[in-house]
Amino acid sequence: MINLTINGLKVSIEDGSTVLEAAQFLGFPIPTLCHMEGLEPYGACRLCLVEIGKAPNAKLVSSCTYPAQEGLVVRTASSRVLKARKMVIELLLASCPQSKVIQDIAAAHAVNQQRFKQEHEDCILCGLCVRMCKEQMMAGAIGFRGRGENRSLGTPFDAKSEECRFCGGCMYVCPACQLRCTFNEPEKAICGGCQNLSPPCVEEEKFDDMMCYMSPCVACEIDKS
Amino acid sequence: MKQIQSIDDFGMLSSRLHGDRDMEIPTIVISAGTCGQACGANDLIRIVKREIISNGLLGKVGLRVTGCHGFCQIEPLMLIEPAGTLYPNVEMDDVARIVEAVVNNDIVEELLPRDPESGNPITQESDLPFYRNQRMTILERNKKIDPIKIYDYVVWDGYKGLASLLAKSEPKEVVEEVKRSGIRGRGGAGFSTGMKWEFLSRQPGDKGKFLVCNADEGDPGAYMDRSILEGNPHSIIEGMIIGAYGTGATRGVIYARAEYPLAIKHLTIALRQARDLGVLGENILGTGFSFDIDIVRGAGAFVCGEETALIRSIEGKMGEPRQRPPFPITKGIHGKPTAINNVETWANVPVIFRLGAGEYAKVGTKGNSGTKIFSLVGKIKNTGLVEVPMGTTIGEIVFDIGGGSPGDARIKAVQTGGPSGGCIPVEKFDLPVDYDSLAKAGSIMGSGGMIVMDENTCMVDVAKYYMNFLKDESCGKCFSCRKGTQRMYEILDGISKGEGTLDDLDLLEELAIAVKDSTMCGLGQTASNPVLSTLKYFTEEYRRHIVDKRCDALVCKELTGAPCQATCPVGTEAWRYIAHIGKGEFEKAYLAIREPNPFPSVCARVCNHPCESRCRAGESGGEPIAIRALKRFVTDRVDPGAYKPMRLVKSDPKMPGIAIVGSGPAGLTAAHGLSLMGYKVTIFEAEDSPGGMLTAAIPAYRLPREVLQKEIDSLIDENVTLECNRALGRDFTLQELLDDDYKAVYLAMGAHKSRRLGLADEDAKGVHPSINFLKAFNLRGESLVEGRVGVVGGGNSAIDAARVALRQEKVDSVTILYRRTREEMPAFPEEIDAALEEGIELVTLVTPAKILSRDGQLEGIECLRNELGAYDSSGRRRPIPIDGSEYTIPLDNLIVAISESSDLDCVEGSGEAKIDTADNDRIKVNPKTLCTNLPGVFAGGDVTTGPSTVVEAVAAGKKAAVVIDRYVRGDELEQPASPVVPKIYIEPGASVDEESEASRPRQPEISAESRKRGFEEVELSLTEEDAIRESSRCLRCDLEFTRPNQDEVEKSTAESKPA
Repeated sequence: MINLTINGLKVSIEDGSTVLEAAQFLGFPIPTLCHMEGLEPYGACRLCLVEIGKAPNAKLVSSCTYPAQEGLVVRTASSRVLKARKMVIELLLASCPQSKVIQDIAAAHAVNQQRFKQEHEDCILCGLCVRMCKEQMMAGAIGFRGRGENRSLGTPFDAKSEECRFCGGCMYVCPACQLRCTFNEPEKAICGGCQNLSPPCVEEEKFDDMMCYMSPCVACEIDKS
Repeated sequence: MKQIQSIDDFGMLSSRLHGDRDMEIPTIVISAGTCGQACGANDLIRIVKREIISNGLLGKVGLRVTGCHGFCQIEPLMLIEPAGTLYPNVEMDDVARIVEAVVNNDIVEELLPRDPESGNPITQESDLPFYRNQRMTILERNKKIDPIKIYDYVVWDGYKGLASLLAKSEPKEVVEEVKRSGIRGRGGAGFSTGMKWEFLSRQPGDKGKFLVCNADEGDPGAYMDRSILEGNPHSIIEGMIIGAYGTGATRGVIYARAEYPLAIKHLTIALRQARDLGVLGENILGTGFSFDIDIVRGAGAFVCGEETALIRSIEGKMGEPRQRPPFPITKGIHGKPTAINNVETWANVPVIFRLGAGEYAKVGTKGNSGTKIFSLVGKIKNTGLVEVPMGTTIGEIVFDIGGGSPGDARIKAVQTGGPSGGCIPVEKFDLPVDYDSLAKAGSIMGSGGMIVMDENTCMVDVAKYYMNFLKDESCGKCFSCRKGTQRMYEILDGISKGEGTLDDLDLLEELAIAVKDSTMCGLGQTASNPVLSTLKYFTEEYRRHIVDKRCDALVCKELTGAPCQATCPVGTEAWRYIAHIGKGEFEKAYLAIREPNPFPSVCARVCNHPCESRCRAGESGGEPIAIRALKRFVTDRVDPGAYKPMRLVKSDPKMPGIAIVGSGPAGLTAAHGLSLMGYKVTIFEAEDSPGGMLTAAIPAYRLPREVLQKEIDSLIDENVTLECNRALGRDFTLQELLDDDYKAVYLAMGAHKSRRLGLADEDAKGVHPSINFLKAFNLRGESLVEGRVGVVGGGNSAIDAARVALRQEKVDSVTILYRRTREEMPAFPEEIDAALEEGIELVTLVTPAKILSRDGQLEGIECLRNELGAYDSSGRRRPIPIDGSEYTIPLDNLIVAISESSDLDCVEGSGEAKIDTADNDRIKVNPKTLCTNLPGVFAGGDVTTGPSTVVEAVAAGKKAAVVIDRYVRGDELEQPASPVVPKIYIEPGASVDEESEASRPRQPEISAESRKRGFEEVELSLTEEDAIRESSRCLRCDLEFTRPNQDEVEKSTAESKPA
């Protein structure tokens, strides 16, 4: 067992746990986007930042990837954490405002404006779909390509993947496209962004209701009509 | 090659090689690293070989091909050993002469490098200022060793350290020794190498441990690692073997960029030779210790220099950093303990064991031992690799070794540490270069890139450049780094295009701090440094871009337009009139000159032409367009009547009155502007005639009086009343003006008080402030000087005073005394030349120390000679008087022309109206609105800035007219600026052959002999042919903004065609 202090409270947790797990064990809310139980921690979204160590060497780390260490002192909501987190949320809003998940996080953190040039992207490259495909579906059909601003998601060389089974798992976990956000209750729809979606891992014409999590899906219906 | 089986055998080989070499045979050394090869070193080698063989010199002259020596500026080079002669920038045709000289033990003197100060040839390589101030321990070997010959390395004590420690040291002692040396990682972060090795040695070694040499050098402008990889690969290999012995590592990896083919080639050869010799691989030197090294080629991602990304890349995965802990030291390549050090660190290890840790630690400062190689690039005279002890100041590196700025522009900052580093401004150049000081100043050591920037570098553009690099080179895993760098780039791009707002600056800083805090790896955590450090030290530049929409460095295209127009204080469209001249449309050219400037003929003669200083034709080796001479050509030839000013308001006696004090260029321009707007203007002039400094100070041989008078007369129209002999403070007070019916008062009295030297007896008879001297002559025709005349000062007014003095009847000789060197004189170079031609003596590097007088009459001046000391914050070397160097110059008259200030007594004591001043010699105004502290009172020109140029005064007058008009109407005085770019399209004339020999014409002058005593105008007009030819050299920077977009035209025609 490892003993650490989170926001002044002492906690013992199993060796090999992450700081995020320890904080959640104590009930401290830490927002996450790219984290999902059952998938390898990745640390891409930077929402789960916490502050560790003492000034002047204190630093921010992503709690989902940082291993719980003996004697570690963690602050999950220091002003430095909140400031950085709010900026990350603002950046998320600037890129992907149509995502219900991101809107909810922004609302919860009282981020109600963003000051950048508005973009409407359908992917924040959180990598949930990649890990879902590889770790849970054992397919590994999709992955990251390129780096920097050219980083993108897809199959190697954009060729049709032999590995893909059209399971829809990638779309199921996606926080940005949120096909699931409306289901068949259009009054709950907030953005209609799903109508413009081209799923990254599958080809639309092959998308079969039988294999789909999302039936009935607005995108499919548009496609069929 | 015979494999060596024991340490003793290695010792025997080493001493045999030592004995074999003949130090007496002259050897030609050619540096042929990538840089040398790019400059033609390969051809040089071929020719030298041919010379040697065809002349039967084999055995008499040696040839050694080495890696880079560091001084890239002089490639391709030939270094002659053992003489130490260096031939820089060797031309292929000179090779034969050099080889012949080498055989005869001779020197080809005209090919030698020259001392930048004295101009004398330098016979010894080590005497070059570039090398003299360095301390080479690593790079020195690059000159001695042919990188593809292991014996060359062995001769220079290579693998000696390894052999001796294998013989007698325990691994533990090796680690201790490295710890004692105090060496810190040269990759940038500066972690103690000894500690790292100790951690690795404590890791369980049952599954194997890795050592990695990080040769993924990717910083723009940094190439010190490449020079070691190419020039001395064995030093890295030996370092790694020593490291492996100390830490128990079993495998080594050199992770090199695939973009370094020569480095990889030399490394591959070196590794094979080391294995063949028996110093690498199984059972090294028969000791039973085994270690081998592989090369892994990186595919060129910048982020792979980060250690966790580098490990993933070596494992064959995507180069993407991961969370630390676990640190590579516990879980590295394939989960095995791994220590990663930089190329330079590894190259330092053999040095530690060759010298001993104690000796090694003596170099550098406490906590920062050893030397560090920097790659010094950018706006610097001597580009190249520089090796200095840690703790050397930036100033020493940039000025003493680098030789300072290559042009006239002053150096303003140095960027250290590549994209993750920051900019250090010139005021902080006394900062010692070590890990801790740089970090404190907001930059980092990084791998050692140093990019020097001068005034022609825009800091916003620099930040934008690095952000552009980082947004492409971020791995993209952390959302905040990927999007953060993109957004920072976006904001910077907006600012550089004039679209920024002041809120952007706050957002930029907030974002930069958040990115620094919220990312996972070193790249992201330092990605904000370029932005944060430029924001910290160069906020004013950002504000200039945002508020004034100006880029003073003339880099940001959208804010610059044509450089000639951008640098002109009154915004003259020089490109426009030059284009018209080219087409023979001289009248149109005159209009373009006259519209923005009411003093075209004056400026055509005495303007300091900032437009020429940044003319693009003058960049990269060419000569700027002779813009002022072209202006002179037009103003001499076109009747001013061609210009009919646009009157905005019909003359109306009911328009409010404005009072202007001073009728110099600032006052007259304002009066003219206000008159065109219909105001009734009264100008009060203290002297008998208008013109201010134009009449009082500028001599007639530069500005003929009738030209000046004509121009002044044209400005005094029915709305302007000129009252001469009416001086503020003497004849009326400011309060009285305000009490009168004037709606606004504009103060433009100029700077008419010469500064004093501050020496005793300065009031002795025969000592004259330059303004008094010039005024007496120019206004009243009185001659105050005779006999031997001295002039103290180096500005234009000193030269004017000297040249006017020379033209006095009773003057025998004139001597100018200046405290710095001629290059640093603020006067126009052509004026200095003219003065010298006329026979004026110039004495530089002197400080007047004492005025010698008898009975209140000047007899002479005692001076101290100066030497040049350390560089001051302006990047010039400070003159320091030498004790005991006093000497006397006998003089009958002394003119003090060190600077001028304004006489502000006149505005003092004006009752209630008390004007705020700065340093008691300038009126304090808001530079944007020219407002003083009193409502309705404005001031501009020299009285607010100190002595400046005519064109600046004209600009102030124009601004005053606009601002006073706004004030009278009750409008907002300060209005948002918009970028000034060329707007009028003038079709280019017939295209000129680019190869044509056209060069800048020299303006004709009357001969020095005939002009020496008279006041006839010295400079003459260009001929029509010359003017048209000169205008054809113009690069027409305006067309980029005004030309109808060709692409779009073509596209639209292409689209309209059926497929």
